Amino acid sequence: MRRSVLLIKKNEALLWGAVALLLILALREVGLFEVDRLWRGLHNLAIFAKDTVPPDLDVLPLAGRALWETIEMAFAGTLLGFVVSLPMGMMGARNISPWPLVVGVRLLVAIARTIPSLLWAVLFVIMVGLGPLAGTLGLALYTVGYLGKIYAELFEGVDPEVLEALKGVGASRLHLARFAVWPESANAALSQLLFMLEYNVRASSILGFAGAGGIGFYISLYLQVLDYQRLATLLLLILGLTLTLDVASAWLRERYLLQG
Amino acid sequence: MLPGVSEVTDALAVRAKGLRFAYRRNQWVIRDVDLQVPRGQICAVLGPSGAGKSTLLRLLAGLLHPQQGIVEVLGADIHNHLPATIRRRIGYIPQQLGLIRSRTALENVLMGALGRLGGLGPLLGLFPKEEVERARSLLSALGIEDKAHEKAFRLSGGERQRVAIGRALMQEPLVIMADEFVSDLDLPLAAEILGKMRQLVHQKGLSLVVNMHELPLVREYVDIAIVLKQGQIIFSGPAQELTWSLLEEARR
Ligand SMILES: Nc1ncnc2c1ncn2[C@@H]1O[C@H](COP(=O)(O)OP(=O)(O)O)[C@@H](O)[C@H]1O
Ligand SMILES: [Mg+2]
Repeated sequence: MRRSVLLIKKNEALLWGAVALLLILALREVGLFEVDRLWRGLHNLAIFAKDTVPPDLDVLPLAGRALWETIEMAFAGTLLGFVVSLPMGMMGARNISPWPLVVGVRLLVAIARTIPSLLWAVLFVIMVGLGPLAGTLGLALYTVGYLGKIYAELFEGVDPEVLEALKGVGASRLHLARFAVWPESANAALSQLLFMLEYNVRASSILGFAGAGGIGFYISLYLQVLDYQRLATLLLLILGLTLTLDVASAWLRERYLLQG
Repeated sequence: MLPGVSEVTDALAVRAKGLRFAYRRNQWVIRDVDLQVPRGQICAVLGPSGAGKSTLLRLLAGLLHPQQGIVEVLGADIHNHLPATIRRRIGYIPQQLGLIRSRTALENVLMGALGRLGGLGPLLGLFPKEEVERARSLLSALGIEDKAHEKAFRLSGGERQRVAIGRALMQEPLVIMADEFVSDLDLPLAAEILGKMRQLVHQKGLSLVVNMHELPLVREYVDIAIVLKQGQIIFSGPAQELTWSLLEEARR
């Protein structure tokens, strides 16, 4: 007769048990186990879906312009954020910057990252008024928060011998950043930039909810007036854009960034 | 003779006195090391792994600061107000060479000029024409001019070694410190490179401090040697007097 043996250690089993319990409690708390409510939800979804067909294509010219503005905001915000993130990353890297600077910069970057771009956009709408400028600045600020951290960590991973070799030559900190740190981490940094761009395109499509420019404005408008056929056209456009971008950035990464 | 050096001809190339160093409090990695390297000579540092060879070299190159003792290069205290004119002429080649992988051999050699090039030019990728010419001629003196535009990560071990030497020579060095200088090369290549360095050292009156292991190479190409055991010198003298039994002694 074969006997099964428990290979999981006792406290490991306890840990998994606790995780499962927490998950169940959390799901119950948000109402996932209320069957009739879910059932009603499915029913509503079906009604909504029926109301969206056929998508209203008359809205295309308007939506196209708004989508273009969304893309512009995403590119401008990402690029602006990137340009600021590079020096921030350098100043936040312990291997090339003095520690008081590192601490200060990391704190700033952490604050920028804590607040999502939508909220930054709200703040900028208050500061510079409605429109794409507010959205662009919001995206840029969040980008600095995200890329600034990633880059500082990336730059710290540079082979210390390369830095030592250049320090030995009498190179300045700027030289180190330009000739050792950047070329050794450029590929990874650009790859992160592409991820950031994808993320920002998605994020910028809802900035219009806050009046910060782009297609989000019309999404919230048609949602409010229950014009689901126009809404459907907008959502399809965004879906198309995200898919295109996914494919394009995968191709770029494959083609240019994964070699060497 | 190197320009600007003649006024200090009688000074030792490298002089270390009473060096003590610890990475962590009271864990001495270098204990009371004295060292004198005359100009125009090669000094080898031997000893088993962990004896403190790399640490000593970083101290001599001014990359680490000793808790006690001093290091002088051509009479100037390397850890105290070292003039930039001397700083930029101390070459240091780390164990893995520290080449920028994604840059070409030529660009890596040009890095040796950074210490004397101020301004925005180099940051924008612009190097003076005569510096580029100098880097080229160094590459051809080292026999790898055909690899000038090859990225560093595509080069063979021996080629990479030469590029690192080229980068150090680009500094118009007074002294070169090289960690595990030829340890990763096979014996004939190691001998060839050491021979070339010996020629340069004698021609230009510079000095070389190298960490290495191979006794036959030390006997043939090196002038003076020291042996480290747990951070202390157990032999210091002419390389010819070095014996296997001394190295064995260091290992125990
Ligand atoms: N960066 C460091 N931090 C702490 N300890 C170190 C560091 N580098 C080397 N050591 C220690 O110092 C001792 C000497 O190391 P090292 O100088 O590299 O010896 P060698 O080059 O002769 O092998 C070893 O015990 C090593 O573990
Ligand atoms: Mg070592």
